[in-house]
Amino acid sequence: MANLTRRQLLRTGLAAGAMVTATQCARGTPNNPAPGPTVNTNQTKDVTLRFIGTGVSQINEIRQKAEEDLGFKLEMRALSTEENNQIAITQAGQYDVFDGEYFSLPLVVPSGNLQPVDVSRITAFDQIVPIFTTGQLYDGAKVNSSQGTAPHRVMFLTDQESTEFAPEPTNWATLIPFQYNADTLGYRPDLVGREITSWGELFNEEFRGKTSILDIPSIGIIDAAMVVEALGLMTFGDKGNMTREELDQITQILIEQKRAGQFRAFWKTFDESVNLMSSGEVVLQSMWSPAVTAVKAQGIECIYAPLQEGYRAWGGGIGLSRNLSGIELDAAYEYINWMLDGWVGAFLGRQGYYSAAPENAKKFMSQAEWDFWYEGKAATEDMIDPFGTKLESAGAVRDGGSFNDRMGNVVVWNSTMDEQTYLVQKWNEFVAA
Amino acid sequence: MITGTTQQTQAVSRPDVAFVHAEGVMLRSLTKKYGSFVAVENINLDIPAGSYCCLLGPSGCGKTTTLRMIAGHEEATSGDVIIGDRRVNDLPPAKRNTAMVFQNYALFPHKTVRQNVEFGLKMRGVKMSDRAQRVNEMLEVVGLSQFGDRKPTLLSGGQQQRVALARALVTRPQVLLLDEPLSALDESLRVKTRGELRKLQRQFGMTFIQVTHAQDEAFSLADQIVVMDHGHIDQIGIPTEIFSAPASRFVARFVGDNNIFMGKVTHVTPDTHAALIQLQVDRLGTFLCRGQAADVGMTAACSVRADRMVLKPHTTDSHTPNHLSVRIATVEFTGYVTRVSLVLEATGEEALYKVRTEDWMAQPLQEGQSVVLGWSTEDCIFLSH
Amino acid sequence: MLKSWKSVEPYLLVTPQTLVFLLFLVFPIATIFIVSFWEFTGYSMTPGFTLENYRNIFTSQVSLATYLNTFKFVGLVWFFTLIIGFPVAYFLAFYIDSLRWQIILFLVCTIPFWTSNIIRMISWIPFLGREGLLNKLLMGIGLTSQPIDIFLFSDFAVVLAMVHLYTLFMIVPIFNSLMRIDRNLIAAAEDTGASGFQVFKEVILPLSQPGIAIGSIFVVTLTMGEFVTVRLMSGGQAASVGYLIRNQIGSLQYPLAAANAIILLIVTLAIIFGILRTIDIRKEL
Repeated sequence: MANLTRRQLLRTGLAAGAMVTATQCARGTPNNPAPGPTVNTNQTKDVTLRFIGTGVSQINEIRQKAEEDLGFKLEMRALSTEENNQIAITQAGQYDVFDGEYFSLPLVVPSGNLQPVDVSRITAFDQIVPIFTTGQLYDGAKVNSSQGTAPHRVMFLTDQESTEFAPEPTNWATLIPFQYNADTLGYRPDLVGREITSWGELFNEEFRGKTSILDIPSIGIIDAAMVVEALGLMTFGDKGNMTREELDQITQILIEQKRAGQFRAFWKTFDESVNLMSSGEVVLQSMWSPAVTAVKAQGIECIYAPLQEGYRAWGGGIGLSRNLSGIELDAAYEYINWMLDGWVGAFLGRQGYYSAAPENAKKFMSQAEWDFWYEGKAATEDMIDPFGTKLESAGAVRDGGSFNDRMGNVVVWNSTMDEQTYLVQKWNEFVAA
Repeated sequence: MITGTTQQTQAVSRPDVAFVHAEGVMLRSLTKKYGSFVAVENINLDIPAGSYCCLLGPSGCGKTTTLRMIAGHEEATSGDVIIGDRRVNDLPPAKRNTAMVFQNYALFPHKTVRQNVEFGLKMRGVKMSDRAQRVNEMLEVVGLSQFGDRKPTLLSGGQQQRVALARALVTRPQVLLLDEPLSALDESLRVKTRGELRKLQRQFGMTFIQVTHAQDEAFSLADQIVVMDHGHIDQIGIPTEIFSAPASRFVARFVGDNNIFMGKVTHVTPDTHAALIQLQVDRLGTFLCRGQAADVGMTAACSVRADRMVLKPHTTDSHTPNHLSVRIATVEFTGYVTRVSLVLEATGEEALYKVRTEDWMAQPLQEGQSVVLGWSTEDCIFLSH
Repeated sequence: MLKSWKSVEPYLLVTPQTLVFLLFLVFPIATIFIVSFWEFTGYSMTPGFTLENYRNIFTSQVSLATYLNTFKFVGLVWFFTLIIGFPVAYFLAFYIDSLRWQIILFLVCTIPFWTSNIIRMISWIPFLGREGLLNKLLMGIGLTSQPIDIFLFSDFAVVLAMVHLYTLFMIVPIFNSLMRIDRNLIAAAEDTGASGFQVFKEVILPLSQPGIAIGSIFVVTLTMGEFVTVRLMSGGQAASVGYLIRNQIGSLQYPLAAANAIILLIVTLAIIFGILRTIDIRKEL
């Protein structure tokens, strides 16, 4: 990646940021005593691993199961994506395990707060979906040439001490994938009245005042890019790494749409998107998969539309704090191996997310579950999520179909752009317009 | 006028700033209840036009409530308030031709002295030029001309009191109502201000109704004193009547320096002015007193002023009709008068004797000495209640 | 020994407060101030001294528009909290005699704070939304045939929600001022012939000014920095300075955010200064 040198600048910036945040918190931050090899035993029983991550991944049931199976303790903190990144970059002492998204890595890795994961210690590494390693899913899949911060571009570091991303797989991984999914538009078929097959529909006058877009600049802009590209209004060199001119142009289009009253609202959190949709305030919007599920759980029809232009995808994984060593580090590796072992994969699968090692997850899923979630077949029985909620009735088919149909059609990934600052500035302009 | 400079004294006597019309006030069966609590019960009172009337009584006796009902700041539960020939119960305060001087003055802290005084005129829509003239006159009357632009909080208590008076007088009320106007002043200022109030009332000629708990204030100011207790009127009279002929035990006790003895009526001899009454007082013997409306066998009391008694050594032969054996407890010189505390030897109760210091010095007695306390039948007033 | 203790005692007494003040107010603000001059290129910031961040803000149309929008919210919220809060405070102070009922009614005023922002926003939807009660009502009585969209996710909704939240901050100080007004002043005004309106204009309003000033300071400060309500109630479609700063922090653009924060602080202090110059609040303190 040619822009890596640019990103090197982050190192100074984030170190300074860390200093600012640290000084602002004065001496109050509860720094963990440096984990050292003081306990002279192989036992990891006394270890407590401190996780930071987004709400999507910090799940109590997983923590309980892990503690039960592994014998040590986990402490989880659910944060917003932004907070998660800020802590990862500036508060190295506050976490042992970073559960974050791949597109955060161009920001987080230069801080030097993560230590590369030794791939040779990951038993199921070869079972990890190739999206993450080589970037190739199957011949002819759109995902093979997807734009943006695709996980495989930031998956490996050149060596153990490096903070430079390697273009080819090495033994040193940044994150071990935890979960991922393909995002698209969701809509209310009862209120829309027809099938939605293109991103371009988001700007269709038919839905004036009834659409919404995600108000996280780096994700929202990509959704917007999918829309304008679908409408033929613009073309992009790389939707995941726009130029200033492209940003100017797309912001202009967004502002025009906003002024024309196309949007009902912008949403920032999961709950907001669910409320907008279930209340009928919005009938078509960019959405996250579990939000669609949550709307459906209220007995309201909602479709997570497979669109002809393809999906925007995201992936999250587990990384290790630079501070980890000794038995704590051992424990963290134990956790990663446990995570890939399948129980977690099945757990995530039942919510509609994909597991990094699907074959292992399959071992913990019923045939009906596997067929529905991964194969895109009609459900032969009711689909129940891990929390006991019925998500789908027998006979339903997953929107978008099978794993290969969905992940294979990913055309762009959540991204950190070179022009991130300019993007935020333009996005603020859009919000203020 | 309080500071007593020549200029101020002159100002008060300005003859051109005066009004002669005054109205009398009549209260008829006036009652005020707060829930089940009766603050004022069935009061009947005639206050003649142009007189100075004091409502006197301890706190909670209903005097302020009565005043506020006259002013219109309290609504009467029943009964009538009549000012002049108008029943004013349903009129707002400003329509009653009254003005009130509030306890602690209630001056507007955000307005200057001038604006305070001007307030009532402004509210009544008096023309600006007339307003200025009348305010200037009024400030001159109370001697505050040079303080017009100050805020009231920067003035002394006495000056504030005069601002309050000016504010009330400037609307030319027929009745001026004063709620404890002197209570916030210190002793010497109080005595001085008393005189000024009386002078103002004479100058303006309007009816003054003042509430006070201090009997000396009432005595020195009032043409008519109304003694109140527990929402009732106990006695109405001119100050000398209240002082020398209290009509009840409460009045006798409240106006002070009276010795009161409780007993039972044993004999009544009618007479032209007042009956001669024998009162049997437990353990002290029988006293002779003068009074009305006594029935043999009733429980009653007699009262005798401390300065109408005599104190003599046991050796003296000539005794007054009423006498007691007492011991001198303490002797207190207060200037013109000497106050002697006595203990009744028969009961251990206390009594008070007052005498001109000059006379005491002529015939001094010792503390602890046993002597005879005597008083005449004429000075001993019978109190049926 | 005892004497020396006496001489240090007052200093010891104020030490904890001073430390808290220094550590949690002065020090962070000083840090923000310093960082606002740091250099910032791309994602990185380096200690240094540049006016670029400020230049950026002062020359940007976006920040100008954002400040104007924030002032618009402040003005509207201030106006409505005042005209709603004053009568409520007046009612509580003059028509409710028992302290018990005053306290109960105050608690009623705090109800908006019993729930989280997100819950509050959710609960506005069934009321203000397209299918909401208000629209149903208006359509039911025939005032409109189409649902009115601007009730929710609009500037109207932002102002409504902030007024709903912050009126309490206006009520309490005004109530406090009104309770301090000697009731005899009102009787005195009536006694000299003031009508109900004149009593209000000449006595009650001037004497409640300190309360209005303190309430205004609360409301203005809260609204100036507000971003959660702005975001939720406008559906993310309206900007405020607080929201701008938040977005910049979220994108790790600390020097820009710091410079914005300093400007916001100065503007807010200037407004407070203006209020204090107009109205003397010392009597309330």
